[in-house]
Amino acid sequence: MYKQIKLLDGTIVSDQIKRVQDNTTIPFNIQNIDYQEYLKWLEAGNNPLPADE
Amino acid sequence: MPIQTAADSISNSAGSPYGFKNRIINGAMAIDQRYAGTASASSLSGYLIDRWTIAQSTTGKLIAQQNAGSVTPPTGFTNYLGVTSQSAYTAGTNDYYAIIQTIEGYNIADLGWGTANAKTATLSFWVRSSLTGTFGATINNGGSRSYPITYTISAANTWEYKTITIPGDTSGSWGSTNGVGVQVWFSLGVGSTYGGTSGVWSSTNYVGVASTVSVVGTNGATFYITGVQLEKGSQATAFDYRDYGTELQLCMRYFQLLGSGGACGVAESATRASLTYVFPVPMRAAATGTLNAANGFLNQPQGGPNAITSMTGFFYGNGSTTTISGGWLVIDVASVLTTGKVIINSGSQGMVQFSAEL
Repeated sequence: MYKQIKLLDGTIVSDQIKRVQDNTTIPFNIQNIDYQEYLKWLEAGNNPLPADE
Repeated sequence: MPIQTAADSISNSAGSPYGFKNRIINGAMAIDQRYAGTASASSLSGYLIDRWTIAQSTTGKLIAQQNAGSVTPPTGFTNYLGVTSQSAYTAGTNDYYAIIQTIEGYNIADLGWGTANAKTATLSFWVRSSLTGTFGATINNGGSRSYPITYTISAANTWEYKTITIPGDTSGSWGSTNGVGVQVWFSLGVGSTYGGTSGVWSSTNYVGVASTVSVVGTNGATFYITGVQLEKGSQATAFDYRDYGTELQLCMRYFQLLGSGGACGVAESATRASLTYVFPVPMRAAATGTLNAANGFLNQPQGGPNAITSMTGFFYGNGSTTTISGGWLVIDVASVLTTGKVIINSGSQGMVQFSAEL
């Protein structure tokens, strides 16, 4: 499962996503294998959780 | 009159005794940043000791560990990678079990694979197993070209040295930059879908050889390996023993740990600090950052260590996701920081793991 990241000012980070199970932040870079896995997960019809309030 | 050097007499088609002779990183199995010698979980299908992966199509069949079983390594080595079967499992049609090293394209580009000038390469290694017979392995490009190979282990529980020569592949697409170049698979059990014919280049993604020894097929079977070398040329030469510091830095291009004092910054609020971190070795690509909160603390002058609760993220400058040199960590703690104060991390190695693996 993945979750959006929100900064203190409320901005949702647009170039990173958090992998929940191991507290990992993943950059949106196609050469990153974790990002490649995230794209496959999205293609399967999934959507990330909203960021914590 | 030009001065002739020894290097002038070495053809580009032959292996060089200078520089990066062995294209395998951590072939002596000495670097283990992730596990520090402890065993992997049987549920793992991923990275083990540095640069080495275990692949399990169905997890739970194998565990791996640096120096598993505590046997004496072959002469000249102090470490090996050991795999132990956890059950007697018959590999199904689409199953595959293996240990793998994926070599970056930059590190094999001079082999010229995929061109008419493809060079011969030689794989050599020390191996020991509780099983005997014909084992399988494969050289492939991670998708569309593969060269299955076999080797024989004659005596159980005895280190044996193996060399296999691989003719350069004149076909296919082989990575030559920072993506996948060559993968070396040591098969521990493979089904018919992924088992090819030994000694022939194929356009199928084979990862082993059909009807070879299956380590996963015997409960408690062991497979130990070290001294793995892939070099240019048609003959195996002595293992390219690199100094520990150099080997560690080669590994850190793909995986590194934030240690105590490695990052410093400022408290943004009572509960959050931003710390800059410059990778000691530039990474292969923008890295994934994983917080291990139990391994780290934040400290401010006259304050700390303060336990970490979470990591908001690891960010690169100006929204870039292509940076390989460093970035900043946004770390959260309980309400104990003084806004504006200098912050530095402490604790054991690995508060944050950075991965840019292939």
